[in-house]
Amino acid sequence: MTVLKVAGIFLTAFFFGLTFEGIGRKITARVQRRYGPRWYQNFIDLFKTLSKHGYTHGWIFDFGVIMALGGIIASLGFVPVGGIVAFPGMDNFFVIVYLFTIGSLGMAMGMVGTGNPWASIGVARALTLMLGYEVPYMISIGSMLYFYRTSSISAIMSAQGGDWNLFKFPIGALVALISLQGMLGKEPFEAPIAPAEIASGPMVELSAKYMGLLMLMNTFMEFAEISLFVDLFLGGGTYFVFLLKYLVVWVLVVLISSVLPRFRIEQAVYFYWTVPIILAFVQVFMTVNGFVF
Amino acid sequence: MGEMKLFFGPNHPGLHGNFSVHMYVEGDTVIRARPVPGFLHRGFEKLMERRLWYQNLALIPRICVQEPDINEACYAMAIEKIAKVDVPERAQWIRMIVLELARIANHMWAFGGVGGPTGMYTSMYWSVSDRDKVLDLFEELSGARIYHMYIIPGGVRKDFPPHFEEKLVKLLDYIEGRLPEYETFVLKNRILHTRLRGIATIDTETCLKIGVTGIGLRATGVPYDIRKIAPYLFYDRVEFDVPTATEGDALARISLKPQEIRQSIRIIRQALEYMPSGPVNTKIADGNGLRIRVPKGMAYAKVESTRGEYGYLVVSDGEEKPYRVAVRGASYPQGLYGVEHLMPGTRIDDVPIWLDTMGVCAPEIDR
Repeated sequence: MTVLKVAGIFLTAFFFGLTFEGIGRKITARVQRRYGPRWYQNFIDLFKTLSKHGYTHGWIFDFGVIMALGGIIASLGFVPVGGIVAFPGMDNFFVIVYLFTIGSLGMAMGMVGTGNPWASIGVARALTLMLGYEVPYMISIGSMLYFYRTSSISAIMSAQGGDWNLFKFPIGALVALISLQGMLGKEPFEAPIAPAEIASGPMVELSAKYMGLLMLMNTFMEFAEISLFVDLFLGGGTYFVFLLKYLVVWVLVVLISSVLPRFRIEQAVYFYWTVPIILAFVQVFMTVNGFVF
Repeated sequence: MGEMKLFFGPNHPGLHGNFSVHMYVEGDTVIRARPVPGFLHRGFEKLMERRLWYQNLALIPRICVQEPDINEACYAMAIEKIAKVDVPERAQWIRMIVLELARIANHMWAFGGVGGPTGMYTSMYWSVSDRDKVLDLFEELSGARIYHMYIIPGGVRKDFPPHFEEKLVKLLDYIEGRLPEYETFVLKNRILHTRLRGIATIDTETCLKIGVTGIGLRATGVPYDIRKIAPYLFYDRVEFDVPTATEGDALARISLKPQEIRQSIRIIRQALEYMPSGPVNTKIADGNGLRIRVPKGMAYAKVESTRGEYGYLVVSDGEEKPYRVAVRGASYPQGLYGVEHLMPGTRIDDVPIWLDTMGVCAPEIDR
């Protein structure tokens, strides 16, 4: 049964992750007064790249790519998705965050292994940005875990009932949303990729199947991160309700990213360590003193 | 921290693929920069010596892809100076309209295009979309969207097609209506301000020393505009202002662009009002068909491009082909001397902004 549930989560992440990405590209295109690609373009891109012969940059590169995908797949398995909980009782917030790090470090290792300086700069920026958004995010989520006295995602989901944490912890939700923008690498926190500055950073040396594997990793990572937000702040929900909430959050992220330029990396970290972090502490203060709506 | 060499181009999304900057960086800061042109060198100037006067019309617009009409104007005006030919009045007004339309198209592109290096791609796509509307008009006028080959020695190739003037006025109204939206989107964006303010700063003294003109010089507070300083065509008969700023940075240069678009619209409206009817071209010199012989002589003609003074020095020895043609590219100073002397100290993050807002156009450096 567990195997079926894990398969269900992966298939959902694969199909809807790519589909919603396609819808996001379409929405961005319409904002930009373009037609945009078809909604299933990401499927075509993925299968095309995976079917091509790619050039390796040595075993560290190969291992890094596999480690990145493996780490994200492992963390995705623990995220409750639309009522599917693959590992009941083990869907712990800290486990997921821990496994996420493996994926990020795998990507860092693999991309630095290419030897391209632009990739190294991109990875350095990605890790620096992570320092920026993780602190307010963890403080904000930490206050919520303190309130519920649990770090189980399922427990927090069921505790919400119809009363979403979005309304109980509005400031925390705002902080998480701002952090989510950085986690997804969307503008204004696009510095790790920044095509015009560092030639797409970590992706600069990726070709064919390696590109495909990291596209898949990116899709799974986006799905896991947004799913966490939906579970923690929007009450999760049944399968289709969950997907609907997911789509709303995704569209919001896409719309924000399509109208903002990118921060420089130090500006991004400065921003995270000023505005969201103050808001996160306000949320902590409110939670500790019982000001929960 | 050790020094590292990074290649900014030719294979880099921040550049167009025909120019390169070798950057020597320490940490995130460029400490030395070397411009590497030549990727687009096709020997335009030498090629012109091997082609008939009129054949060169197909070649010269390619010297500046983003703003080709200025080449046609300079080339034609220099030949007319040598041949001492009076161009019909209507043709002069039409030339002004074409040059200002091209100016609007290029400024729109560059203004919204600042979204490219800063990641705000929406403004970039918007401006490309609106620039396309100008290109639609050019296509109707000349049959070509980019390389128009419309301004020829002696006037222009043909008169406006039917209802062209109404369409032009409609387009100007549309662009005027769009400008506030662009300004809100681009110039009132606080993040963009933090990205552009104080970046790629250049002062008046340096501009004058290395030869930077146009918007680069005007952004330092000097109202230097060839259309005012040495009026050509009928620029002395129309009213327009020369917008300036004082900061001299990337933000100042970008902020001037919508103001310049408004002035161009103002000029076109006046040109449409003052333009008489009549012939639009005249015979330039003796010869059969396209094989003309321009009298012996030498002339320099210059116009105000979106990036500054753009000029052609044309020498004729009285034959069917030019003896020598030399082009003064507007972005030559900032593209070569500027990169070498002004870019050091810039952060890697700001290098594409530096090149974009300085208006470096590689083909006119290579020519």
